Amino acid sequence: MDREVIEEALYEVIDPELAINIVDLGLVYDIQIAESNDVFIKMTLTTPGCPMHDSIVNGVKNRLLQIDEIENVTVELVWEPVWNPSQMSLEAKKQLFG
Amino acid sequence: MTTGNIKSTTDIRLPLSFIVFGIVAFVVAQIIIFWNSTSILQGHFRIPGIWSAAHLLLLGFAMIVAMGAMYQLVPVVFLASICRQKLAYFPLLFSCSGVVIFVVLLAISPAQSIYGAVMVVIGICMFLLQMVITLRQTEKKSIMYAFVKTALVMLFLTIAAGFLLAYSFATKGIPFHESIFYTHILFGVAGWFSLLIFGFSYKLVPMFSLSHDYPTHYGKYAICSYSMGLLFVSVSFWIQIAYVQVIGFLLLAIGFTLFTYNMYIIYRNRLKRKLDKAFVFSLFAILLGNVIHIIAVILVVIDLQSVFHWGILLFSYIMCWIIFSILGYLYKIVPFLWWTKQYADNIGKEKVPTLKEMINEKLAVILFVILTISVVVLIGSLLAQIGVGVWIAQGVMMIVSMVYALSMILVLFK
Repeated sequence: MDREVIEEALYEVIDPELAINIVDLGLVYDIQIAESNDVFIKMTLTTPGCPMHDSIVNGVKNRLLQIDEIENVTVELVWEPVWNPSQMSLEAKKQLFG
Repeated sequence: MTTGNIKSTTDIRLPLSFIVFGIVAFVVAQIIIFWNSTSILQGHFRIPGIWSAAHLLLLGFAMIVAMGAMYQLVPVVFLASICRQKLAYFPLLFSCSGVVIFVVLLAISPAQSIYGAVMVVIGICMFLLQMVITLRQTEKKSIMYAFVKTALVMLFLTIAAGFLLAYSFATKGIPFHESIFYTHILFGVAGWFSLLIFGFSYKLVPMFSLSHDYPTHYGKYAICSYSMGLLFVSVSFWIQIAYVQVIGFLLLAIGFTLFTYNMYIIYRNRLKRKLDKAFVFSLFAILLGNVIHIIAVILVVIDLQSVFHWGILLFSYIMCWIIFSILGYLYKIVPFLWWTKQYADNIGKEKVPTLKEMINEKLAVILFVILTISVVVLIGSLLAQIGVGVWIAQGVMMIVSMVYALSMILVLFK
């Protein structure tokens, strides 16, 4: 299982409030793939206590479980290090800064 | 490492039920106010029709919506699950049916209104208890926590004063009727609603503007000043010493200004350049609220005693600050709630709409602009005693409220 396949899939998980994918927003901190192809994602959100909390976490699980080789996905939501705008891609910055 | 494992498990149907009831109450209140335009113009605020409309607007709309919003926001803002969430349908049942009975009785038989008031009080007390227990789980006592906790204390004092007032109507046995009446209004309008909006603004404003690295210490001074202001003004209703009232209104204005300044700093630190229009309307409401507070200080300094002018100022405060704030935020909250119900499980599986695609933002701009103009015309016409102006402005507000309600209901079909 390639890390790129997972990253590619995560580009399709969109933050419904900002309409930007979670990778470009810099929300994904770590991707780990076990030999059994179980996937562990460490991620954050733009603000602690975001109402989209459950939806985005479930979105990550739903998207990754659509990949045939993956059977288990664990998502750990962390608040440290705190998300900051410098983690965004240029594309995301363009969208937000208008 | 701090992890975020507390789930925001609020049943979406719960806040949505409160909010839908609130929106309907908003429209009906506007119709009743339109029906009573002539009485308002003549300065007759304390008549059954106006009591009924005022309570429908504040209890039926603002209060019920605030309750619904709290069931949604408290778990996510304070990372605390609502205590015995299923029991929340009881506050919904008692509060909503109580409001209907209360406002109908106020209009047709004020002496009997105590029965409706009792139901509302039971509903709100159940809500209060549930919130207090829920908030005890909060680990991090932030400035939001302080504002929301103080707002809940104010709500308790408001219903205590309101209940006393309704009892007084029924039995004519309570002295200091006027003092209780003014305390009830002060704690309800400036205490409960303002402090609650202050508190949640510390979450919603940075979240909707994507603001980071901003200070919140002005909030501490704001809550101290505003709470002291509430205390001083309420005392002034019981002991007639002019300077106590002046100090009270001054402290309220200072508190509100500090809050506004903190919101401005958050706004200035935002990453999102193009803000959603409805959210901008809520920010605009903060400015209006601040201006009204300053006007109140001027009026109390010049010792204006006119009930008519204070009535208009109170109406402006309720409409331009509280109602505008809520209307703006609802344009964000309702699509979010419905999106969560309809699409939350499908995210990552299929293409789902963004929140912005759930609402008609162009219509929102038109509605908010017309609403602002009509409120300005209404206040101007009241002050200048132009009957046709009052009638037209209130008529337009009534139509705007209907279109607003329709636009919210249309979200529920997406």
